[in-house]
Amino acid sequence: MISPAQTTTPPRVVLPFYGYGAGCFLVATLLLLSHSGALPGHYFQPSLLAITHLMALGWGTMMTFGASYQLMPVLTGKLLWSNRLARVSFWLSGLGIPLLVWGFYRFNLGGPTLVGGALVFLGISAWLFNMAGSMSEKPLEQLHAVFVFSAGIWLWLTALVGLTLLLNFRYPVLAADSLHYLSVHAHLGILGWFLLLITGVGARLIPMFLISKYENRRLLWAIYGLVNGGLLLYLAGFLMEISGMVFPAMALVAAAITLFICFCHKAYKARLRRSVDIPVRLSLLSPALMTLPVLMLLASYFRKSPPVEASFFVSYGLLIFFGWITAILLGMTFKTLPFIIWNKVYGALAGRQQTPAPNALIHEGVLRWMRYAYLSGLGVLLSGMILSLSALLYAGAALLFVSAMLYGYLVLRILTHKSQAAP
Amino acid sequence: MMIETNNPLRSTAALAALSTVTDPEIGLNIVDLGLVYRLDFDAATNTVRCDMSLTTQFCPMGSAITEAARNALAGAFPESDIDLRLTFNPPWSAERISPEGREFLNR
Repeated sequence: MISPAQTTTPPRVVLPFYGYGAGCFLVATLLLLSHSGALPGHYFQPSLLAITHLMALGWGTMMTFGASYQLMPVLTGKLLWSNRLARVSFWLSGLGIPLLVWGFYRFNLGGPTLVGGALVFLGISAWLFNMAGSMSEKPLEQLHAVFVFSAGIWLWLTALVGLTLLLNFRYPVLAADSLHYLSVHAHLGILGWFLLLITGVGARLIPMFLISKYENRRLLWAIYGLVNGGLLLYLAGFLMEISGMVFPAMALVAAAITLFICFCHKAYKARLRRSVDIPVRLSLLSPALMTLPVLMLLASYFRKSPPVEASFFVSYGLLIFFGWITAILLGMTFKTLPFIIWNKVYGALAGRQQTPAPNALIHEGVLRWMRYAYLSGLGVLLSGMILSLSALLYAGAALLFVSAMLYGYLVLRILTHKSQAAP
Repeated sequence: MMIETNNPLRSTAALAALSTVTDPEIGLNIVDLGLVYRLDFDAATNTVRCDMSLTTQFCPMGSAITEAARNALAGAFPESDIDLRLTFNPPWSAERISPEGREFLNR
């Protein structure tokens, strides 16, 4: 028997990350809208670098930091190692990201940009240190916590490589120019950080929200091995300059994604809750969207001649950042944020007074429109990339901007919710 | 759904009170969800003891649910002390959901 221990992180630690993430998503879609004309060009452009880092760090990583500070105590069964360090990670990353993004946007990779990159690196280090401290005793949900921590190590390496590349623009510290190492930096982040994290956390949360009886720890360990194995193989191939190792590495990652989709499908089939709400539907879209970048990579590998156009890689990035990562963040926001606020506002009143349900904090109609705008925006944008039609690119970016505005409104509405408990 | 008790008569009133407590995420009351494992009434110490669980250990809503259950029992038995204990032995499983609960989830 145990007493109902309080194992949640204080909302004041977690909530700033949600607000920051929503703001970055809005700015990133605004930049996408104002620079939609740049999309058919080469991926190494100031505006695209700014958008990518805003999406990867400001949106994806900051949201994940906030959620992990909330989730880690659930996985380990004890309080977060340090709330103060969590706040330090917010301020370091939160100050560093705008400096870094502005530097990319102006393509001025001098002092302020380097300071921004260093602050982000320190912020990530603070987060990782906190996760390590929280996991110092054997966690209860060991598998999922190992996914999160391993993803964190890859993120730390991604940031270290990124900072070195930034330095290399100004002071040649590497053997080749920074562009040569860009794919390593990108794939460390995409596969090591985002893929490992989303599969690990998704495998915990998706069955929980579906009330599914399905469990398969062996399958999840296999996914863990395949992602890490694929990434290590890819790195070894790059370092040893053996291009033949790219395909086996891609095959391992593709196998991991296929297994994760099987996992989600089986969890969905074994669910007890028939009706699936919009946030979970959006989250379930994410594994499906994972397949598209992998198929694109496989297609590019076999298509030797003519070589793929530069815009191909922009489409690849759009699918990853605005598709796969954004879909799960949009969904999971509304499965976590209303509960954090509900606990804060009504937790002490539970069973004493009538309180609204956590879901009542979400404006259902706006959420539905946000989903329509997001899905149609993504579809139109990708159609614009395939057909090279600037009107479609602009319309798609505009719809994504609308979805980000609606998302921001919903988040702000939940964050500022005041008690409506009946006496 | 199997709830052990040493006093079936008084447990009816306790279950009626606990039925007013819902899992905020699922929207189903904790009795039909099968979270209540045992209800014991000790006349000597004037205590109502309730053993209950959560759908997942260290659920972030856990303290809100257990507090609500404690408050509901305190409302139904104002003269008694409430001894509410959280257990994960055995862990909650979907098999504990009542037929009414399954019907609710099937909607």
